[in-house]
Amino acid sequence: MLDVKYFGAVAEKTKVDGETLAISNLSLQELVDELEQKYDLSSLSYSIAVNQKMVQDTNSYMLMSNDVVALLPPFAGG
Amino acid sequence: MRYNRQIILSEVGEKGQEKLGHAKVLIIGAGGLGAAILPYLTAAGIGEIGIIDDDSIEITNLQRQVIYRNDAIGKSKASEAKEMALSLNPSIQINAITDTLNAKNAISLFEYYDIMVDATDNLHTKYLINDACVVTNKPFVYGSVFKFQGQVSVFNFQNGPTYRCLFPDETSNSENCVDAGVMGISVGIIGMFQASEVLKMLLGMGNVLSGKLLIYNMLTNEQQKFDLVKNNSISLSRLDFEKKYNTVLEISAKQALEHIDNPDVLFLDVRNEEELPEISLPNSIQFPLSDLEENLDQLDSNKMILVYCQTGIRSKKAVEILKKNQFLKVQSIAGGALKLQGVIANNAVSVL
Repeated sequence: MLDVKYFGAVAEKTKVDGETLAISNLSLQELVDELEQKYDLSSLSYSIAVNQKMVQDTNSYMLMSNDVVALLPPFAGG
Repeated sequence: MRYNRQIILSEVGEKGQEKLGHAKVLIIGAGGLGAAILPYLTAAGIGEIGIIDDDSIEITNLQRQVIYRNDAIGKSKASEAKEMALSLNPSIQINAITDTLNAKNAISLFEYYDIMVDATDNLHTKYLINDACVVTNKPFVYGSVFKFQGQVSVFNFQNGPTYRCLFPDETSNSENCVDAGVMGISVGIIGMFQASEVLKMLLGMGNVLSGKLLIYNMLTNEQQKFDLVKNNSISLSRLDFEKKYNTVLEISAKQALEHIDNPDVLFLDVRNEEELPEISLPNSIQFPLSDLEENLDQLDSNKMILVYCQTGIRSKKAVEILKKNQFLKVQSIAGGALKLQGVIANNAVSVL
């Protein structure tokens, strides 16, 4: 089980603030690829955090059960 | 008397109030975020506040930019903001700058102020603020809003992570308030977080939001913090900045004269020979701008070349010529010979 949280323009696309997915044992990049396809996120730019910590190397990051992933796009309004 | 209620806080005290009084803070943007940040920093007694924006007030701004009056529609935001701030606290200095922040003015502005507060509404300017803060080694108080959510962080604070560590992808686009819509209260809350970070940094109290990204959601009242990771491969020198923004950076006369005995520095005077005042520096050479190109072989491209003219205009052209001809370490001296003479006359440096 994984928790995924969406923010800003990403949450606009997913239409939910977060969800629990019944998957694990995959890399962060594999999860991101799946989500990009599911929600058509490829036009958006965002950074990714796991358990409240930003992750840069998504390919080598293996997700574990109960991890909380967050997709964080930059905001521009002000 | 004015500041009594904060001075009686042990974390502030008379000493803290003095620190605030000596601080210089630049607010970049006089829109929704700026309208929240400015009155609180003003009221708290920040000694000098710059507010830069070239926009005029429109009726659609008033829903969130609450420092502007209805009868000020059409007037300059920076000027109106200054008037509001001074009516709130006439004992401080407010500098209204009716301009956009750009690569040409950012460095000299950032060198003057202690803390830069981002109250802009576009990503392009946020990258510029970040890069100019890195070059000048100043903290960058970031704030941004998307609909009912806001982000806050303090970048480049004591060598902490920068905006590019968090969002390295500069080509991304994100909607601003005009496109996405925004509640006035959302920008107000985020601006207040930013103002709070400014005061915490100046007073040295609490934990500055450095190395963290805070996200606040007005609809759920959820607030989360994410740990950032510093990416040391992202660095930016003054020369990188110039190249990236295709601009000619200036060096101040005072900073230039610190190189007076530096054998790796050459002062290049591009005025005509008869022009006064005469500036005699040990490591200097003179070619009028019109003759510069035919004399390039007499310049050592391994040296840092500091170019000056009378007021700092021809020297910028000279820098462009030099750069075109593969002289990479060149800078124009702001204010030219007149400024140099002033610094020398004030005995800020001794000329042998």
